Amino acid sequence: MQLRRKRQGSVSRALGILTANLLLISAADAQVNAQPGSKQFADNNDVNQSHNDTSGQANTVAVDTAVLFYQEDGGRVQAVEPTGSVVYTNNWGDAFSVKFTSDSLTGATPNGATRSTLAQTFTTPTRGVGATSTVTSASGNSVLVTGPGGVIVRQYTIAPNALPLDSGFRDNRYALDLGYTRQLDNVSKWSIGGSYSQERDYTSISVNTGYSRDLNHKNTTLSISGNFEYDRSRPYFGSPTPFAVIDGTQKGPNQTKTAISVVAGVTQVINRYWLTQFNYSAGQTSGYQNDPYRFISVVDATSGLPLQYLYEGRPRSRFRQSIYLGNKIALGPTVADVSARVYHDSWGITSYSGEIAVHIPLVAGTYVEPLARYYHQSAANFFQYYLVGGAPLPTYASSDSRLSKFNATTFGVKAGIKVLTDGELYVLGERYKQTGAAGPPNPIGILANENLFSGVSATSIVAGFRFVFK
Amino acid sequence: MTVEAGTAVITPFADGLSYAFRAMGSPCEVRVETSDLALAARLGECVETEALRIEYKYSRYRPDSVVSQINTAQDEPICVDAETAALLDYAAQCYRLSGGKFDITSGVLRRVWRFDGSDRVPSRAQVAELLPLIGWDKVSWHNPNIQMPHGMEIDFGGFGKEYAVDSALIKARGQCDVPLLINFGGDLCVSGPRADGGRWQVAIESVDQAGAVDGRLQLSSGALTTSGDARRFLQKNGVRYSHILDPRTGWPVKNPPRSVTVAAQTCVEAGIMSTLAMLHGARAEHFLKRERLQAWFVR
Repeated sequence: MQLRRKRQGSVSRALGILTANLLLISAADAQVNAQPGSKQFADNNDVNQSHNDTSGQANTVAVDTAVLFYQEDGGRVQAVEPTGSVVYTNNWGDAFSVKFTSDSLTGATPNGATRSTLAQTFTTPTRGVGATSTVTSASGNSVLVTGPGGVIVRQYTIAPNALPLDSGFRDNRYALDLGYTRQLDNVSKWSIGGSYSQERDYTSISVNTGYSRDLNHKNTTLSISGNFEYDRSRPYFGSPTPFAVIDGTQKGPNQTKTAISVVAGVTQVINRYWLTQFNYSAGQTSGYQNDPYRFISVVDATSGLPLQYLYEGRPRSRFRQSIYLGNKIALGPTVADVSARVYHDSWGITSYSGEIAVHIPLVAGTYVEPLARYYHQSAANFFQYYLVGGAPLPTYASSDSRLSKFNATTFGVKAGIKVLTDGELYVLGERYKQTGAAGPPNPIGILANENLFSGVSATSIVAGFRFVFK
Repeated sequence: MTVEAGTAVITPFADGLSYAFRAMGSPCEVRVETSDLALAARLGECVETEALRIEYKYSRYRPDSVVSQINTAQDEPICVDAETAALLDYAAQCYRLSGGKFDITSGVLRRVWRFDGSDRVPSRAQVAELLPLIGWDKVSWHNPNIQMPHGMEIDFGGFGKEYAVDSALIKARGQCDVPLLINFGGDLCVSGPRADGGRWQVAIESVDQAGAVDGRLQLSSGALTTSGDARRFLQKNGVRYSHILDPRTGWPVKNPPRSVTVAAQTCVEAGIMSTLAMLHGARAEHFLKRERLQAWFVR
């Protein structure tokens, strides 16, 4: 007699899903999982998909430490980011989490001006107020110059046809995240959390809260969460007025912005092999959203040569919405994560992204997890590669490539090995590449021969260790 | 060739090695399709470790087990770990799903029902006296805290061994992908098809004659369990009392099949579905047919 599977009856179907849930604990135990933070430098237009998701096995302390190394091609930004997190879950399923992140970034960022056939010199205020001597910075190739009236300014010159980069970029960031999740009863959870991050010229503070409820024998989970963020921008030499001509004088006062976002989601167990999640998120950001260090070139209407450089200007309001569909599909011991996201905001950016990651267990507690991600976005409606001399100034304009139309692909692989009984060592390597148009459809003069896209390509490596104390 | 590995015994079979040990009062076996003795020993030990872990943790015969702690708490709430909580949640859901036919509090009926082939059938009064101590809905279970009313007991006898099979398979597969079959006293599951793509052969033991074979099944994925009353029954005044007790009445189910073998994706499901089928008595075949599960009956 041969056994074949047919469509099941109601009791066995319900039992099948319940059993899959039951055995998840054994499966989770057999395969310690970890999620390194690796996407923070990627596409920056996303609203947080889920806030403060902390949970673990009862009465355990999970410790995760990792270091991220990030390097952009062409000697641009380089970052080293150590992180450490501790999640304590008590007997009642309540979880407390603490995460500390420290970034150290160095390198060069595009200043927003176009390439040109001529050498271009940019003048900015000095970063340190009260500098009195003229120095040459080895890394930045910039000099401090005492101008008329004793004003000390910083100048740097970009070679012909090179992408204008401001090399004086150096920052340290410290961030602290705290979370608390309370198991209200058998089926519902409530969480609150907060985070604080500090850079030399930027401070961000946020609070969040969420609620989730299991229905239908825990096969359906509904969740809703909200986040409020307050940011304070303190540019080194003050906040420039949009479309003011760049110069060496100190600028205006510090600026702030606030952001509110809400995420509502449904997670559904479809069958024992398939878990699906749908989220909708919406967020409103109000306040100062300019990059205070970024310029936009004004070029001659016929030659395309630069006439002057202005500070950029962006709208003070941005409303974002996104929908996300994620799936976890088990194919024997192999687990595939397949997800897609559509995003739209009031700046006119629409983006689509898709990702697949496949977790493949190998022998002796090792695994590999290849991943691929594709991202496409349209340009913000005020994105311009440059402004044209003589034409009236627009209300808003920015040449930031992150607001332009571009595609991005990521390929990576993660590998891990179980060590001791409850520990895991892992390493993740990723290659990220942005591609975009070299310029507008009808470029002016010399700009027809220049690549005006300043998007990044980057390589990142995360090495981490995760351990669960029982 | 026979190799002793601790108390376990490794012997060759047609295309691999069999690792045999005892746990949960049953002979247990892991069949591994490999000629690598070290690999078979490693996988066998992994399965044995998991079987013993679950036995020690949940045996009602061990005073230090989680089940004994819950049963002897004397009205005090007990906070349980995540695995136990998942098992209790599961038992609660099975209780609701089966309309009270599947009940982990029904073990107290053993105090009056002893299925030893004799004619010692308890009196109606003896059974009625126990009924107030049965019923999962009387237990206070708020994950992760459980509080047993005085005199009530739980046990995971209804699916503990099956859970151990499924859990051991998951643990073994976390080590290696070589095809294997795990069999704990007749509750068995396979990791998938055999290395050559073929099916595993499973014999159903005769209910009348130990060692004789009533049928053969082929299995390429999932699990098989068998419930039956081969040697466990009472007989009085010409009435045969099966050992399948309905927790709602405290009395044996009338006319269950003598044995039912059910195939399902996991051992836990197969075990619970075969128990539920037996509880349907004369309508056991009808129940499994309606649930569209593959099953093999002996009447």
